[in-house]
Amino acid sequence: MNMKTRRGFFIAACLLPGLALFILFKVYPTIQIFQKSLYLWTGVGDTPKFIGLKNFVDMFNDEAFLLALRNTGFLMLIVPVLSLLIALINASLLTQTKLKERGIYRTVFFFPSILSFVVIAILWSFIYHPTMGFVNSGLELLGLGDWALSWLGDQRTVLWALAITLIWQATGYYMVMYMAGIDGISPDLYEAAGLDGATRIQQFFHITIPMLWEIIRVTIIFSINGVLTISFVIVSIMTGGGPDRHSEVVMTYLYSQAFTNSNFGYAMAIGVFIFIVSLLLALISNKLTERGSH
Amino acid sequence: MRHKKWLTTVAASVMALSVLAGCGSNNSGESNGSAATGSNGAANGGKQFDNMELNVAVFQGGYGREYWDTIAADFMKDYPGTKINITASPKIAELVRPKIVAGNPPDFMYIAGSDNTPILAGLIKDKALLDLSDVFNAPAEEGGAPLKDKIIPGVLESRSSSPYGDGKVFLAPYNFGVMGLWYNKTMLDDKGIAVPKTWDEFIALNATAKENGRALFTYQGLYPGYLEEMIVPSIYNVGGQEALDQFYNYDPEFWKSDTFKQVWGVLGKIASEDNALMKGTIALNHTQAQTAFMQGKAMFIPNGTWFEDEMKDAPREEGFQFGFLGAPAFQADQPAVAMTLIEQMVIPAKAKNPELAKEFLKYLYSDKSVKLNAEKSKGVLAVKGAADQAKEFISESTYNVYKAVDNGMTTVNGAFKSVAKGSKYNPNDEVFKPISSIMNKQMTIDEYSDKLYKIYTDIQQELKDNGAAE
Repeated sequence: MNMKTRRGFFIAACLLPGLALFILFKVYPTIQIFQKSLYLWTGVGDTPKFIGLKNFVDMFNDEAFLLALRNTGFLMLIVPVLSLLIALINASLLTQTKLKERGIYRTVFFFPSILSFVVIAILWSFIYHPTMGFVNSGLELLGLGDWALSWLGDQRTVLWALAITLIWQATGYYMVMYMAGIDGISPDLYEAAGLDGATRIQQFFHITIPMLWEIIRVTIIFSINGVLTISFVIVSIMTGGGPDRHSEVVMTYLYSQAFTNSNFGYAMAIGVFIFIVSLLLALISNKLTERGSH
Repeated sequence: MRHKKWLTTVAASVMALSVLAGCGSNNSGESNGSAATGSNGAANGGKQFDNMELNVAVFQGGYGREYWDTIAADFMKDYPGTKINITASPKIAELVRPKIVAGNPPDFMYIAGSDNTPILAGLIKDKALLDLSDVFNAPAEEGGAPLKDKIIPGVLESRSSSPYGDGKVFLAPYNFGVMGLWYNKTMLDDKGIAVPKTWDEFIALNATAKENGRALFTYQGLYPGYLEEMIVPSIYNVGGQEALDQFYNYDPEFWKSDTFKQVWGVLGKIASEDNALMKGTIALNHTQAQTAFMQGKAMFIPNGTWFEDEMKDAPREEGFQFGFLGAPAFQADQPAVAMTLIEQMVIPAKAKNPELAKEFLKYLYSDKSVKLNAEKSKGVLAVKGAADQAKEFISESTYNVYKAVDNGMTTVNGAFKSVAKGSKYNPNDEVFKPISSIMNKQMTIDEYSDKLYKIYTDIQQELKDNGAAE
């Protein structure tokens, strides 16, 4: 008994520092965000005024916010779907075909993941540069000069241009995860399927995907949240939210409300909204993909 | 997970930096302080201060921090016993924000740079700045006439110094810049092209521009706010101060006025005429657009007196030389108008030592300080004749711009009235961002004016509701 309580104390003492840090740096700020979202506060003055849920009501009457939300939704739909799909196909091609250059491709595709987001954004803003950019010069070289647009300056193309950058950045990372997963699948399964006359494509759908299902579920959530965080850096540098807010995302809007418009309370409300939405999305995607694991 | 890790790294390095910045300033402050304490006792001119310590936070940008270190040392020599601690950083707003929130702001702040100035807007909205009018009404450091007579005319009355429009000065002017359209002087001189005096002449130059293989105009596409440098002077040119007040004070009728139609008509022409707007402009950031201009891809671009220094390493076409014309007029007999940008210094209302801070502020406008500022920061203080004091330290073309202002080029200056606390509107964004759509021909001038009419009406309503609530 005595021994047991002493053991308990010891464990508690070991846990305490970690717990204290966790509460101080994670729980407390989060509670602050929720609390401040109910206030009218400039972020500099020290007298926040309680206004209840007004910030949240305002949010849905704020056209700029709704546009930012729509743009974010677009990216959150397009980017995960395409980057995971491309990653999956690449991973299975690289593992199944036993290419000699496999190692090189693995490294090359993974490269964007270790570059800083800022570098990626600057790199791509030069790729899309309207006159000396790689894309438009390439089109001109092919005699398709009429197709050359200022990709980041046109409201019809800007979101797609950003989506491609995000996909390029993320694909390699997920590909490496999938490759590790595929390497863990027993080769016997493929061999047996091959003997039974299953084609490569059938093997992909009936062996690779089901066996990777748990990894895919995790990557879907990673990828959705990744879009939220990375889009801030990419948009700030590549377009500044332009032209005319057509590439504004919720994170850049949150930032500008907090730091250039001195609307801290409102920005916190947007933060809470994003928090809830991403939590919901994670739950929904988990629920939707659940049956696949049986 | 790796995104979190990235954030942690950033946060950690920011912390480390701020700690380092803190150390640096303390060290310099203390060493200077101990030198001064030796001759403690009789204060300058018999002035005594209860509190002899002053905490100063300054923006460390293109002007550096040397001026501040030197002037603080001089001040401590002239006011024995005082001790000035300087914190300088390019991200000064991030450093002072937590202190302000905690109710412990620095005694004196010089805030500039687009990352930092929003904190001033917050302080203005919160009415958290100290009224500095008495400093400017009192005699200058050298005695004699009130200090306000030394400042460039119009500055103290403008919204950049008197944000509530009641004539009280809350933001003291520091260096000033002049903004307007720039051109390649060599190119215009060589081809014998006259600098356009009116917007009609400007548009007419499009043909000449085309002959010379360039577009007429480009601007910093991602940041359409730069267009203010031609829009604001033009509003002033057509409708005078009255129209400018309508624009800055949210009179919705401005968007139906003739002034609006004329000024935005110029933008419409730039958008619609072939070759007028450089291809791809809207997608370019400021560096890309400015480089394209210097390489001779466009004839004119808006920017400020910092232009030459900012682009000193950029590639340029053969013989390129900076030329400045301000903003053309609408009638041939009107002068060109340029916009001024004035950097601001403030004393927070909650400063611990406002009396000494005011004394320090007054000291900054002394003749000695103006000269020192020109030498160390290569900046031009917003006092009369400062350009001549700075002549030997700044480039010739920059000097010429300032000299033109000294010699009577009309200047305008202004800022939007504060919107209601909690308003979602950021007037600069609302007015300038949609211009990208006009330039893209995806929005007509009429649609734009309807949109802005509604926004101005909303902002007015919010201000009214806010006033009623308080």
